[in-house]
Amino acid sequence: MSREASKKILMLAMLLPAVAVIILFLAVPAALTLLISLTELDYRFQWIWCGLENYARLFSSPVLQLIVKATAIYVAGTLAFNTLMGLAIALISTHVHDALGMFVRAVWLLPRVLPSVIWALLMMWIFSPLEHGFLNSLIVRAGGSPVPWTFLYYWPFLFIVNGFIGSSLSGIIFSSAIKSIPQDYIIAAKLDGASGFTIVRRIILPMIKWHIAFFVAYNTLSLLASFEYIMLTLNGGPGFYSTEVMILHAYHLAFGQYMVAMDFGYAATIVTILLVVGLALSVIYWRVFRLRRLMIEPKLE
Amino acid sequence: MVGMLKIGKILLYAAAVVLALLPVVPVALLFLLAFSEHPVFIEGFTLKNFEFLKTGVLFPEHPVYSKLYPNVYTVMVNTFLLALGNMLLVVLVASMAAYVISRYSFKGRSALLGAFLVIHGVPASVLLIALYYMLRTMGLLNTLAGVILVKMSVDLPLGVWVLKGFYDGIPWDTEIAALVDGTSRFGAFFRVMLPLVSPGLFAVGLFSFLSGWGEYVFVYTFIQSSTNWTFSLLIQSLFGEMGGINLALVAALSIVYLIPVLVIFLVGEKYLVRVTIGGVKG
Repeated sequence: MSREASKKILMLAMLLPAVAVIILFLAVPAALTLLISLTELDYRFQWIWCGLENYARLFSSPVLQLIVKATAIYVAGTLAFNTLMGLAIALISTHVHDALGMFVRAVWLLPRVLPSVIWALLMMWIFSPLEHGFLNSLIVRAGGSPVPWTFLYYWPFLFIVNGFIGSSLSGIIFSSAIKSIPQDYIIAAKLDGASGFTIVRRIILPMIKWHIAFFVAYNTLSLLASFEYIMLTLNGGPGFYSTEVMILHAYHLAFGQYMVAMDFGYAATIVTILLVVGLALSVIYWRVFRLRRLMIEPKLE
Repeated sequence: MVGMLKIGKILLYAAAVVLALLPVVPVALLFLLAFSEHPVFIEGFTLKNFEFLKTGVLFPEHPVYSKLYPNVYTVMVNTFLLALGNMLLVVLVASMAAYVISRYSFKGRSALLGAFLVIHGVPASVLLIALYYMLRTMGLLNTLAGVILVKMSVDLPLGVWVLKGFYDGIPWDTEIAALVDGTSRFGAFFRVMLPLVSPGLFAVGLFSFLSGWGEYVFVYTFIQSSTNWTFSLLIQSLFGEMGGINLALVAALSIVYLIPVLVIFLVGEKYLVRVTIGGVKG
């Protein structure tokens, strides 16, 4: 066998498992989701084609407005929390002693590595509306009356629950961006008598604006389709669909226990719309951030 | 002026300390609650909440309750199998694919890399309905193997990207020297390259172990019978039903669940940062 052929076989053999996994478990399901959205697939698991009926049903549903609104609030609020908290982590941790700065960034990774169930449980307990909730137990002990946190402030609650996970990523990205700013700029500004606030506003923020833009773009995409922490905490409530984001609604339609569950065809409609939006956004980001740079061909072979 | 600078510095350090405390406090509270004598408030110190560790049976004094929940050790083994299976598969498949992608140019290379990047940006939750249908067709519903397969394919793109970065960092000379010495291409990969990227393998391994260990949505969606439960399902179910009655027990169970995570976090924090830069969670 020629050298060239044996090289090709080896390459193929090493690449094949990954390609097979990606096609079988990611590409096929994506296409299958689109197909399912055109059927009446339910608990009987029968393929009954129904054209665009599910889409018509979705667009005339009174719930649509509620879930789109919830998604917009959720994405915008969590994004704002993640970006601002990430900036705070980055600015503070790069301006204190190195050891303390590294400690701050390391500690913020903790909520991210905790199993999601434990983080959700902790937040539910701390902000529980009942008297045994941690914050309420402090208030009651101090002589106050318990506050129904998750009933009154459900959106801020969800921004906190999700934001503690997302801010570690933005914090790390922004910190490394700040650290790569040449010190000369900052020293020169200081010599000119600029205050710390001016340096942040006039030098640091403009120099990391692309990193911020990249994080906002990337995070929007992942938040649009994330529902794990909402499901584990408020699960669409309190009340009627107040925090039921689109992807959570799709999950409830397909797998929820007490709603009209196992309505796979209809649920896939919402997911397909999210997939299309997600892919469109990906393509736009691809162009804007010139991600092709990451794919430079190897120089030598 | 100098006085103002000093005050500014003190405020900055105070802010840093507060910032460092924010994520730690909830975890510290969980520990206090797990050792608490009172079932719902933090009070005193006792080990009685950890008594389930003796036999693995929850609520041994209430036969009705105890029948509802699987043995804690069964749950622990399931969780460990999911984490281990995910780790081994991701490291194995990603280490080979990333090597080829880093070293050779071939048709479709950038399309493949692009696909890895795009897929990794869109959370896998959008595929749940189709995956449920596929696992059901393959007879893998309600099995840990099915969950492991889905989980590893979701973690794979990130693993490939991170490992590609590690391979890219190794100069070609190393490999050419081995090839000139008469080593086969596979030998060069296995005996020369793999040891050199071991920090990368370690990073991806730790990450995928933790990712499998903490998984909730896939297990909740694809697993029905409680003998196949993992810790995440047991704790979520207990919290839903016992949260107001015996929170300290749920906390104690959470601590048992948390210990491997904390150990890995302390040992591998700097490795995890490398992977987090391309992290998936929102």
